[in-house]
Amino acid sequence: MTQPETPKSTPEEPWPVRVVSQKIGSWVSKLGWVWVDGQVAQISRRPGASTVFLTLRDPSADLSLTVTTNRDVLDIGAPELDEGARVVLHAKPEFYAARGTLSLRADEIRQVGLGELLARLEKLKKLLAAEGLFARERKRRPPFLPGRIGLITGRSSAAERDVLTNARRRWPAVEFRVVNVAVQGPSAVPQMVDALKVLDGDDTIDVIIIARGGGSVEDLLPFSDEALCRAVFDCRTPVVSAIGHETDIPLLDYVADVRASTPTDAAKRIVPDLAEETRLIGLARQRLGRAVTGLLDREQHRLDAVRSRPVLARPQVMIEQRATEVVALRDRAARCLDHKLAAAAGDLRHTLARLRALSPAATLERGYAIVQRADGHVVRSPADVAKGDELRVRLAAGDLSAAVTDSPG
Amino acid sequence: MNEPQLSYEQARAELASVVERLEAGGGSLEESLALWERGEQLADICQQWLDGARARLDAARAAREDA
Repeated sequence: MTQPETPKSTPEEPWPVRVVSQKIGSWVSKLGWVWVDGQVAQISRRPGASTVFLTLRDPSADLSLTVTTNRDVLDIGAPELDEGARVVLHAKPEFYAARGTLSLRADEIRQVGLGELLARLEKLKKLLAAEGLFARERKRRPPFLPGRIGLITGRSSAAERDVLTNARRRWPAVEFRVVNVAVQGPSAVPQMVDALKVLDGDDTIDVIIIARGGGSVEDLLPFSDEALCRAVFDCRTPVVSAIGHETDIPLLDYVADVRASTPTDAAKRIVPDLAEETRLIGLARQRLGRAVTGLLDREQHRLDAVRSRPVLARPQVMIEQRATEVVALRDRAARCLDHKLAAAAGDLRHTLARLRALSPAATLERGYAIVQRADGHVVRSPADVAKGDELRVRLAAGDLSAAVTDSPG
Repeated sequence: MNEPQLSYEQARAELASVVERLEAGGGSLEESLALWERGEQLADICQQWLDGARARLDAARAAREDA
C-alpha cells in the first residue's frame, strides 16, 4: 500500500530513487519473520567483522538468497557451520537501501544434524510411497537392447568409467550420451534435474542411468531429494539408479525403474552380453535346424510309407488282376464251347449211325435193289408199272436203267 | 505344381483317403485308374513340398556358412 501523500508516478513527475527504495523496503519488510530451510552454498566470516554473510541455497532448485547474521547468532546455533550444510534459520527479509540489495537477516540459525536429516528423509519416503511414486506397477522396463543410453554422472568419475567400460565390454556397439553434473553439494540436484529433462527430451535415448560411486550419507543426500525423485518419476524414459552405497538406500533407488547396486551392475542390467547372446542364438539356431530337419524326415518317412503301399507302388496289379480275370473268363468260355462242340460232335456221330442204320445201303449190299419209276415212285407191286415203262434200278454199287417187258396188268 | 493352393497337409490327407479307397477296392477300372493317377499326383505334390522345404533349409545353411 502506497503512502497516501505520495502522488502517482508519471513521466512528468517520476519518483526519485529514494522514494522507490523506501517503498521497496516497506514492501519487503511486510513478509515479516519466517523460518527458512536451506543449504549453505557459501559462508564468509571476515576476521574482526561481527556480520557474517551466507549464501543460502534451495536444495532442489537453482535459487539462492543472501543471509546476513551476527557472528554470535552463528556461534550459538551453528558454530561449525560449513558449506554444504543444511540449516534452518529464523529470518526477516531486509532491503539494503544503500545498494538496492535484498538479504535475509537471521536472528537464529540451527544446523540440521544428520539424525534429523535422516528422519526427514524417512518422512519424505513415506510421503512419496503414499503418493505411489515407488509403486511397482508404475515401473517401466528398459528395452532389452537400448538404442542410446543417457548417463548422468560426475565428470571423469569412477562411476562414469565403470558404466562406460562395462557396457562396452558387454556390447561393443553401445552408444552413450553422457551429461556430467555435480553429484554432491548444493548444485547437484538442480543439475541432475536439468540433465534428466534434457535426456528425457531426447528421443534417441531409451534409458537413463544416474550413476555415482559410494560416499558418506551426507554426500549421497542429493539422491534422496524430493525434487529429483519427482523428476525421475515424471520421466517418460526408464531411469536406472546406480548409486554405490552400503547401508542407507537413497530414495532415488525406490523411485527409479531399475535399481542397480553399483555403476558396474547398471551396465550389466542395461545392455546384454554380446558373447552370451551370440551363443544363445547359435544354440537356438541348432535346435531350430534339428526340429525342422526332424519334421521333414518324419514327413518323408510317412510319404514313403504311403507310396510303398501296394496300391500305389504296384499299380500294374490293378490291371494284372483284371487281365487274369479276363483270361480266366476266356478260358471258361473256351472250355464251355469245347464242351458244347464235343457234345454236338457225339450227337452227330450218334445220329449219323442211326441214319446209317436206317439207310437201305446195307440191304442193297446184300444184293437187293430198289426199283423206281421215272417219277421216282418206288415200285412195290407189278401193278405199279405198265409194259414199256422206263425203270431205274438202284444197286449197292450204282444205278442202271431197265424197261418193263411184260406186265401182268 | 498344378495345384499350388494345396498345402502339404491337405495333399497328405487326400492321399491317405485315396489309398484307403484304392485298398478297399470295388470301383470300376476307370475309377480305380483315376484314383491311382490322383494318388500319384498328390504324392508328387507332397514330395515337392518336402523337397522345397529341404532346399530352403539347405540354402539357409549355406548362406550362414558363407556369411
